[in-house]
Amino acid sequence: MAKYSMVIDVKACVSCKACMAACSTENQTPFWDDKFRTHVEDKTEGKYPDVNRVFLPRLCMHCENAPCEAACPTGATYITQDGIVKVNYDRCIGCFACVIACPYDARYAYESEDIEKNETLHPDKNYHNVPHVDKCTYCDHRLKEGLEPACVETCPTGARIFGDLENKESEVYKKVASEKAKSLRPELGTHVRTFYINTK
Amino acid sequence: MSFEIQHVWHWKIAVYLFLGGLGGATFALATILHLFENCNKKMLSIAVLSSMIFLGLGTIFLLADMLQPFKAFYALTNPSSWIFWGVIFINGFFAIATFYIIPLLEEWEIFKPLINLVPKKILLFLEKLNGAAAVAGASTGFLVAIYTGLLISAAPGISFWNTPAMPLLFVVSAFSTGAAYLLLLSAIANTQEAKHIANRLERLDAVLIIIELIILGAYFNFAFFLPSGAKYSANLLFGSWVFVVLFLIAGLFIPLGIETYSIFSKRKKHNRGIIIFASTLVLIGGYLLRYFVLKVGVFQFPW
Repeated sequence: MAKYSMVIDVKACVSCKACMAACSTENQTPFWDDKFRTHVEDKTEGKYPDVNRVFLPRLCMHCENAPCEAACPTGATYITQDGIVKVNYDRCIGCFACVIACPYDARYAYESEDIEKNETLHPDKNYHNVPHVDKCTYCDHRLKEGLEPACVETCPTGARIFGDLENKESEVYKKVASEKAKSLRPELGTHVRTFYINTK
Repeated sequence: MSFEIQHVWHWKIAVYLFLGGLGGATFALATILHLFENCNKKMLSIAVLSSMIFLGLGTIFLLADMLQPFKAFYALTNPSSWIFWGVIFINGFFAIATFYIIPLLEEWEIFKPLINLVPKKILLFLEKLNGAAAVAGASTGFLVAIYTGLLISAAPGISFWNTPAMPLLFVVSAFSTGAAYLLLLSAIANTQEAKHIANRLERLDAVLIIIELIILGAYFNFAFFLPSGAKYSANLLFGSWVFVVLFLIAGLFIPLGIETYSIFSKRKKHNRGIIIFASTLVLIGGYLLRYFVLKVGVFQFPW
């Protein structure tokens, strides 16, 4: 049983958005509709002349205490033994309670129009065959093969670090244990598994 | 911090929330009138039938907004979700409303063939327990009305919604719309008994509108004070003339004024026209409240 986690090095990100492209390709997400599982935010911080441009990659936080799981009436949203928050497409009724509950903008609707378009792009294998709410899965289908998530593998600057917190030799464990890794909105008590370093 | 308006729950959900609150409250108030005022059975049956139609229609709007409505029964899986409880309360509502209304429908010639289908023993049982059904009905109606607010408040990322005031606001508003609807029915009926009920309802609705204004006042005071999404939402609302004129003024202040005038007026002859007008304004205001709450559901994202 693993405890998967991602640590994002904010200083390393150059906003090339290769992660967004890799994720869309790997997971057949509706990029044509501007819907992604992961995003890179482009923010300016500080006041002139002390301004700074920050690129912040963001994705599902895979919260241990996920508000989306509590909000889902059908149990379609569930957490695997490895801590990955997933959606069972067949059980999702598309009520969007999870989208409303998520404080990290991690979810979006995979609608029937998106499915039709995806069918034309991938007639041989369409991963999304029913309308449902979609989100990042830490590419768990790749993890099973011993691969890293698509965004992590693609990132040219190594801004995304992935690993198992149960493995004390892993980089993620070291970063999290050193307390240099920060979580977003910790006051919400979501206990995230996606952390950030080199950021305020 | 960045602010982004939610884009998943729109006007169809607002209709559902409005009809849910209206239906639940109408049923609850009708059963309360039955228990404490000895109401005319025909009037009661119209009120309860209306509440069932409101809730039925509301549910259709809700299902129409889902991606997979035909799987809606799966919603009875996770009790930590307010939608789960909504399904329970609404189904409870329909069951109790049916038990409650069958004895009342005996008053109508048109329903006699339908009532004759019910076995005599069951009919006697329902008549005997009509009072108990009324109590259960009042509770279920209240639960349906308040759950809509509890559902909206369960959004940790939307500070304008994530407050204990939300279910309070929604339940008070729901009962105000329920009272307004029953007032409308009484004004249209225009019998002596209806006028007596109308008097009661006028006072109730006026008090409920005042409570609603107090809650809104506290709500906006808090929202404007916080440097967060709630402040952004409050600014959006007060920047919209539709909100200020159609909801606040026409939906709350004007009906309150009309009802207050009507309550204290020395004239024995009640002007049906203005009561019907005031009730209609309250109903429109009830929908607008839910429409606007959804429209300014602003996420406060930490980037």
